[in-house]
Parts: sequence; C-alpha cells; structure tokens
Amino acid sequence: MALSEAEVARYARQLLLPGMGEAAQETLRGARVRVTGGGLATAPAVYYLAAAGVGTLWMDDPDLVTPGAGAGFALGPIDEGRPRAAALAAFARSANALVLAEPFRPGMRPTALLVCGSNLDVSRAIADEARLLQLPHVVADVDGQGGAATTVPVGAPCYACATRPGLGAPPSAEGGATVGALAALELLLLLTAASQEPRARRVEVFRGTPLVRATERQPGCACMGPAAAGLAP
Amino acid sequence: MTGRSPVARIDVRAHACPVTWVKARIALARIAEGEVLEVLLGDGEPRENVPRSAEEDGHRVVRLEPAPEEGTGTWRAWLERGAPREERTWP
Repeated sequence: MALSEAEVARYARQLLLPGMGEAAQETLRGARVRVTGGGLATAPAVYYLAAAGVGTLWMDDPDLVTPGAGAGFALGPIDEGRPRAAALAAFARSANALVLAEPFRPGMRPTALLVCGSNLDVSRAIADEARLLQLPHVVADVDGQGGAATTVPVGAPCYACATRPGLGAPPSAEGGATVGALAALELLLLLTAASQEPRARRVEVFRGTPLVRATERQPGCACMGPAAAGLAP
Repeated sequence: MTGRSPVARIDVRAHACPVTWVKARIALARIAEGEVLEVLLGDGEPRENVPRSAEEDGHRVVRLEPAPEEGTGTWRAWLERGAPREERTWP
C-alpha cells in the first residue's frame, strides 16, 4: 500500500536518504520488531526505530521501572513502578504516532529482533533464541567506553561467534545512547537492505571512534549447522 | 524538447519543500525510464528546487513554464525519468 500523505510528510527527509524511498519506507512500515531487554541502549533504540517508521514495536521487558534504572532518558519519575514494557511503548508512540507500540505478548510473531540485554549472558540467550527462530536481529552491547552493535542476518555467523569481551567497565548512559542509536540504524539498514555486503558485521565504538568488521563463524559453533552442533544423526 | 506526453501528473502546490520534491521523486519512481511526469508547482522555492533536485537525481527537465490556466502563480514542470541509479552508499 502506498504511503499516505501523512507518512510522506512525516518521513520526507528520510525518504531522500540513499537507499531509501517509498518501497523501503513501506518495508519499515510492515516490519514487526520485538525489542528485548532492559539495557541502557533500549530507550534510545526504541526512539529511533519509532521515529524512522518501523510499523510495529513490541517491548519485551518483564521488569518495572525503578528509580534510576536502565531505561535511560526516556523514563522519568512519573513512570516509576509501571511495567517498563508499557512505559517504553508509550514513549515510542510519543516519538511517532504513526507506529503501533505495545508490550510483547506470547504468540506475537515478530519479523526481527533488537536485543538490548543488560549483560552479555542475557543478550547471548536472546540472540540464540532469535537465531533458532530464524529471525534477523541486532544486538546492542553497552560498556564503559562505548559498546558495540552486532548485526546478524538469517543464516549469518551468530552473536556468540561475533562477541568479544568488553573492558568490564560499568556501562554508561552516554554509551547507551550511542549504541542504542547505532543498533537502531543497523537494524533499519538490515530491514531495508540498504547497507552494503557483508551485512553480518559488528560495529564497535570505543570512546567515540567506530570500528567495523565482518563477523566470522567460530569453529564448532552451533550456528554452523546441526553437524557442528552435534545434533545430526 | 521531448515529443512525449506525460504519463502521470501530480500537484504539489499545497506542499512546502522538501515534501514537494519527495512527492515528485516517489511519482518518478512509479514510471518507467524515459517516461514523463507532469508536476504542478508553486512559484518560488518549489519552482527552483524541484527541477534542480530532479536533475541532480539523474532525471531530465524537458519543460518548465508558467501555467496560469491552472491558477495564479502555478508552474508546470515536465520531468523525464532517468536511468535508475545505484543508491546504496551506506557503508
């Protein structure tokens, strides 16, 4: 379905970007992205995904908003005690009234995931679930000096293959904002196929300086297939 | 001048930049290479920006003229769609 007058007006500047256009914007409108985890990158990423016109955003976060915890700039004292998924959904709708945003519920069928776990183990578990469901996903990791966004198209080297241990420094809100925006952009490029190959890549940001590298499978990783995972008969 | 008549027509007089060019760009994407789109424009910024943006985007301005029969201050542009460009310039 063609873009409406309201959508053309809302996304006018974005529609002029390289690789964008009506078809790409329609693709974003048709996307259903499940945003999982309560890390510092979550709220910035949600903001940019909503602003860019991802049609459906499902917030998957079972926690409540607590004072000063994990949701970054989006949630304030008025949200304390609310389910964070509902508060983030309201935040997304305030960023762009043209998108549907609501808490994730079992049975919803996303077309992609954005993983914003509060630590590497949580992110790894969610990313592995996405891989098994054959859903493209981007994982945002925040650390004390910045962080990384790992893009995992279907069938690509998995997040575990791509992950490098961080410095172990406590994550910062500034890192969350940077990596959240970066992860959202990576997911938008993946959904619209606007980026160049290889799309399976990891963008690491260290003190504001980005480094991009293609990801590679690690020998013996389960993502190599059933034989490598020991599941083949 | 082209001998071809427009195969499509849009009216962007109610809009401001950049929506004027965005709507023209979308309409150009819907026609085939070599076909012509007629765009009704307001005078001033739209008349300057839309034809220039079209040329920068690889299309050809084959006509740009006042169209008083369409309303005071109205201009008519005929834009011939150019060859599709490789747009993937993201890293």
